[in-house]
Amino acid sequence: MSSTTRRIVIAGVMGAISIFLGASHLGFLPWFSGAAITIMHLPVIIGAVLEGPWVGAAIGLIFGAFSLIQGAIAPTGPSDVWFTNPLVSIVPRLFIGPAAWAIYRLMQGTGEVVALTAAGIVGSLTNTILVLGALGLLNFLPWALIGTIAVTNGVPEAIVAAIITVAVVAAWKRLDVGRKGSTI
Amino acid sequence: MPEHSEFELLGRVTVGQYLPTDSPVHRLDPRAKLVLAVAWIAAVIANASLLGLSVLLAAVILGLWLARIPLRFALSGLRPMFPFLLLLALLQVVAIPQYSRNAAIIWQSRFLAISDRSILAGALLIARFAVLVLGLSLFSFSTTTTELTHGIEHLLRPLQRVRLPAHEFALVVNIAIRFLPILAEEAERLMKAQASRGADFGQGRRNFVQRARLLLPLLVPLFLTALQRAEELTEAMEARCYLGGKGRTHLIQLHGRPCDYVALVGALCLAALSVYLSRLQADRLVFLRLVSRL
Repeated sequence: MSSTTRRIVIAGVMGAISIFLGASHLGFLPWFSGAAITIMHLPVIIGAVLEGPWVGAAIGLIFGAFSLIQGAIAPTGPSDVWFTNPLVSIVPRLFIGPAAWAIYRLMQGTGEVVALTAAGIVGSLTNTILVLGALGLLNFLPWALIGTIAVTNGVPEAIVAAIITVAVVAAWKRLDVGRKGSTI
Repeated sequence: MPEHSEFELLGRVTVGQYLPTDSPVHRLDPRAKLVLAVAWIAAVIANASLLGLSVLLAAVILGLWLARIPLRFALSGLRPMFPFLLLLALLQVVAIPQYSRNAAIIWQSRFLAISDRSILAGALLIARFAVLVLGLSLFSFSTTTTELTHGIEHLLRPLQRVRLPAHEFALVVNIAIRFLPILAEEAERLMKAQASRGADFGQGRRNFVQRARLLLPLLVPLFLTALQRAEELTEAMEARCYLGGKGRTHLIQLHGRPCDYVALVGALCLAALSVYLSRLQADRLVFLRLVSRL
């Protein structure tokens, strides 16, 4: 049973992790397609899985607002200029949390690890599809290029998200994922 | 500026600096400044002309002068992004065709055509970005994070009638800001611990496989210690009988003063003026007249 206090604190802490990963560039993995593989949406997914859709939406809002500010004040590349538009940076990120939470709940019957993997994949794909969709609808990029980016960037990002989501949540909840470590 | 070692991440977590010059702008009510910041962003995005943006530019320079912030310092914030801006503007001018009925072609070669519209589009890109950043910098130079969160909470309070949790959200933002240096310290500690056990750290590693390998032993403990601290904070808050926002009073009360309203109205008028100017679409006429004189 989760209290409001815990929800507030988790939202704040996960939001802080998202900002930190972005500001310190630890959240960017260089990838051959040019655009980096990012992991700043992971706190959103993990927060949503642990505490629910509203917390996920709040963390998504913080993530989006920070990417807007970062695009305006300290961009890391030319694509950051697009993120100064809230329709690209904020609105898509609001849905990552709820989507991840919904899939997690749906698949919980099949098994925790499966549910977590699915949540990671769906959350990451939501981010990819909605952000790229916004870029396409606003005519910042041609649709053909968007399709390519969605595949070369979106798929590896989803895989990375799934791995890290499972690792973190399983460790936090002390689930058995077949890793040999200390068992207390 | 001290040289940062490859492990010091704390120096990078600055989302805009605060300059305590104690000017009239600094003493404005943070709610007014927040409303202006939002209106600023809207005015810049809605602006499609250089004339309108020059009005905004004049306004922000006036604001910087009033806030006693050295102009050169504010402009130096634009320097890191200038190469990207130039690149994108060049792309706009040269590569993206402006198919419109009455675009006057200025220069043409076999593959490319530069029309007056494309040059304006490139200049617009740079101007829009510069004005936006200067405005946001002015805002962050003159507002502390405490003022900011108080302002946000006060502004969102009327929305509590529609069940929007203003107090809770302000607290979330506060906690997030408070945790940033803690996370930076933690990450630094983790990186050093990993490095002392033989991991090859350093901020310059380009290879994807190497960075991905280093990621898991760094991220998972970071998340776990953050979650652990979150548990402890929750317990601490509940142990001190934190009951939420109902009936909660505040130490810092925000009072609206006449100068706040004056500043608000004045700035909103300027924003409206600039958007109106942008609607007039006078850019092309001015530009063509300038070019025809050359």
